[in-house]
This record gives sequence, C-alpha cells and structure tokens, in this order.
Amino acid sequence: MSNPDTSFRAPPDTPVAMPRVRSFVGELPLLAFVLAACAGLIVFFTGNSFAQNLLATTFLFAALSTSWNIIGGLGGQFSLGHSVFFAFGAYIAARMHLDLGLSPWLALLPAALVAAAFAMLVSWPVFRLRGPFFAIATMAMTEVVLALAMYFSSITGGAQGLSIPFKAGLHNMIFRDRMSYAILMLCFLAVTLIVMAAVTRSRLGYQLRAVHDNEDTAEAAGIDVLRTKLVGMGISAALTAMGGVFFLMYVRVVDPPSLFSLFDIGVKIALIALIGGIGTIYGPLLGALLVVPLEGMLRAELGGMMPGSNLIVLGFILVLTAMYLRKGIAGTGTDLFARIRGGR
Amino acid sequence: MTGFLEIRNASRHFGGLKAVDNVSFAVEKGEIVSLIGPNGAGKTTLFNLLTGQLAPTHGSVSFMGRDIGPLRPHQRARLGFGRTFQISKTLVSMSVLENAMIGAFLNDRALPDAARHAAAALERVGLAGVAGKRSGDLTLGERRRLEVARALAMQPHLLLLDEVMAGLNQTEVQEIIALVHQLNTEGVTLIVIEHNLKVVRAFSRRVLVLNRGQLLAEGTADAVLTDPAVVEAYIGGGASS
Repeated sequence: MSNPDTSFRAPPDTPVAMPRVRSFVGELPLLAFVLAACAGLIVFFTGNSFAQNLLATTFLFAALSTSWNIIGGLGGQFSLGHSVFFAFGAYIAARMHLDLGLSPWLALLPAALVAAAFAMLVSWPVFRLRGPFFAIATMAMTEVVLALAMYFSSITGGAQGLSIPFKAGLHNMIFRDRMSYAILMLCFLAVTLIVMAAVTRSRLGYQLRAVHDNEDTAEAAGIDVLRTKLVGMGISAALTAMGGVFFLMYVRVVDPPSLFSLFDIGVKIALIALIGGIGTIYGPLLGALLVVPLEGMLRAELGGMMPGSNLIVLGFILVLTAMYLRKGIAGTGTDLFARIRGGR
Repeated sequence: MTGFLEIRNASRHFGGLKAVDNVSFAVEKGEIVSLIGPNGAGKTTLFNLLTGQLAPTHGSVSFMGRDIGPLRPHQRARLGFGRTFQISKTLVSMSVLENAMIGAFLNDRALPDAARHAAAALERVGLAGVAGKRSGDLTLGERRRLEVARALAMQPHLLLLDEVMAGLNQTEVQEIIALVHQLNTEGVTLIVIEHNLKVVRAFSRRVLVLNRGQLLAEGTADAVLTDPAVVEAYIGGGASS
C-alpha cells in the first residue's frame, strides 16, 4: 500500500503514496499491550516475593533507563551522570518526609522540578563538548556532587546515610508486601514510557534525533541545538529524579556512595539502554528485562562465593550485544521486521 | 544602500591562511548568483560566513538591511536562509521523508503538517519514490537531492546551494536546473556554488569568481568566463602569482 517500491507504476503526474508518519496516538495500542504484559508478569508471580523484588527492580531500572534514553538515546548526549538527578530526587523526598512529615507523593513534583533546573544549569556549559568528552564531563560531575553530598551530612546523613522509618501505608509509599512495590514501579515505568513515546512522536523528538545525527545540519535547518539538548535533558532529569523518590521508599536506607554509584546507577542505566536499543521506545525495557533479573539471580546464587560475578555477566552481555546486535535488541528487531516487510 | 543580502569587507583566517580575504558583494532579491573558483578558493568558507556556521574574522553581513553578524545559523534559518552542504550531511538514522521533515519543522509544529510539506519537497526533487528508504541507503546523487529537499521544506527566501550537481547524471542535472529556475520565479533568491561551467551559463545573469580567498572578477557569465585573469586562475593553477 504505502510501500515506496511500487510507486514506479504510478503515472508521473499522480502524487506518490508517502509512507505514513506514526503519531503518538498510533503508539498507544502497543504501549497498552506492553504494559499489560508487564502487569501479567506481576500476576503470574503472585506470592513469590523473590520474583516480585526482581520485577520491582527491573521495572525501576527500565523506567530509569527509559528516562535516560530521552537525552542519551534520542538526543545522543551520552550522560553517565544521571545518578546525580536520581540522588536529588531521593534526598528531596527524604528531607520532606523526615523533616516536614510530608508524603513522598508530594515530593515527586518538587524533585522533578529541582532536578530539571539543576540538570539544565550544569549541562549548559557541558553541552559544548561533543561525544566522549561530554560523557567524561558528566562522570566528573558525579564525583564532584558525591564529594559535596558526603560533606553536607545534615542533608544526606553523610557516610552513615539516611533511613526512613517503616510506617506502612499507601500515603507513605511503604508497603508490607513486595508485590505492591512491583506495581508501584510498573506505574512509574508507564509514566516514563508515555513521556518517551510522546517525545519521540513530536517535533522535539525529531529535533533531538537531528541533533544526534548531525549538529551542523540541525542548525542549518533552524534547530536551536543548545535549547533542544537542554529541554531533552530537563525532561530526562525530571523523570530520573522521580525514580529517586520511588527508590528511596523502596529500599528506605540510602547513603551517598550507593545513590551516586557510577556503576550501579549512572553507567548501568546507560548500558541497559545500549543493550536494549538506544533511542527506541521499548529498548530500555527489553534491556532491563534481560539484564536485571539475570544479575539479581546471579547475585543470589553466586554472590556469596564470587563477589562481582554479576559485573562479569553484565560485561559479557554487553560484548555480545556489541558484536551481534549493533543497534540493541529493539533496533535490530525493527530492522529485521522492516526487511521482511520490505521484501529485501 | 540596503541590499537584500550584503557582505562587506569580510575575511576569515584560519591561522595564517586567509580562506576569505576582504570580500564584499551584494545580492539583490530575485537574483541567481553563481559563485565559482578553483578548489580551495574559499567558496564554502564564504558560504559558512553567510549562513553563520563561521564567524568572520573581520567584516559584516547584513540581510534585508539588518546586521546579522551576531545571529547563529538557526536564527538565520528562521530569517529565511536555506542551505545545502557540499559534503552531504544526511541524517542517517532517519528515513528520507524524516530528513525532509527536519526542514519542514522550521514552520510546522504538528507532525502531519511537517510530513505533508516534506513530501511536497521530495516530490520537487524527484525523491518521492524513495521517501520510505533509510537515507543512509541512498546513492550520492540522491543524497544531494535530499539536501536540496530538506532546504526546500524550510520554504526559504534565500537558498544557498553548495555544489549540488556533483555526482549527478545529465538528466538529473537538467532537472535541478529546471527546479532552480522554477524556484526563482517563485521569488526565491539563490546563490549557487558550481563547478560545471555549462550549468553556470544556464543559471546566472551574474557570476562571482573567487580565487585564493579574494573576489577576482564579477559580471555576466560570458564576460567573466572569458576574462583572462579568470582563465589564468583556472588553467594556470598555482603557476602564476
């Protein structure tokens, strides 16, 4: 129908059928299906608290990685410093909860806004750097903010960290059963996927991809490159900070080294997106579904005997992806699908 | 006087190299001006000064009576500058249609509008049949036409074409010449960097010759192409001083 290969049959003066451009609304059926499938996993493992824990962690990391994907994948700005925005969210929620007795639900919006503002402010100078230099600068930022977090112990609890008292209730975002956390994280994942789909199928999404592909072309086409990157970073950081709030209430004990961890947060969410398919809507979810449960099971099975074995496995998956699935799971799948349909 | 586009005493140095050296000229609305010169004469650098990709070391650029020196390329694009790149800078992760949409988004907010204008631009350069292809799979000639389509989708007032004919076959060249004349009658002003002198004759009432960063000659195609200094620059190459 809209296959361009058949267009030569049309007489020259009739308009050629153009390929359809998918809209946000066009994404919704698939989005609903994917979320329903994830909910199905939660239902399937009812009563298995180990599995529910894994699902909660998987959905959290899928959501973080999806948030990262907005600027890291679509915009091509390979940030390794997203743990900073994550930690911002956790600390804002912690302070509001511990000092003012406020519900963490009320912390979501301030966390998102503060993290977005901070992200845009620090990215302003750093966005002048391209490629690996940008990535290195974001790593440096992580280390600087970590050092500051250790110093300002009145906010962060310093090296001892913070703990949130266990007072179960939806209002406090604290639950006795693990399944509720899995549902909570799935809801967060749903929010990030909806935002990612909306951005991808919008002018902003196209402009971010243009900036990713070639900044000179983007500029010549009238795109304000710096502004586009800043907006993408702001949205990405805001969602990541919300993830920090959920993480805090899930683990209830946080200290700066674990929140700002380059490997466990900053690099990991980028790697998950890379493995799943950078810049695609569902890539990070696929990556998280592959990596997080595997890692969790290995940690449970081998963690005591071989500390760090989960890192070896993660590295191994990454190497395999780099060798055989250059565009990640989702990217390669899409290409394959297009090839089959295009008959080439 | 306030020309449509005016560049005054513009220079651009790269270290000790004067890529563009004290060049002044004006382009009137509705003109097609050709810019020719041997390799390394500074043609593309001059384009970059006009579009804002590079800032001049000295000199000024004005557009419709306004000094546009401080404006970045994207701001000039909003004033109506469209350009193609000599080394085609196709957005390889996108389809052909999406590449053209990037230009259309200058004026359109909604996806369907951008897609419609992009499709119309592809139609004009003869790429409608490959709209769904990945742009990375295009031939060199198709990529150049895609550059033109992206610029057209911006609906520019001023279009700067940097060697769009290179690598195109005879039929394609004729098509682009026809397209350029068509755009011109629609009110688009064009500045064209071109090596093919036949094409230059077909295009322009006015030709600018650049050599070693300086404006060597200016005039009608016939006058300029028979100018001994121009012939010397082209054929004599580096032998003369």
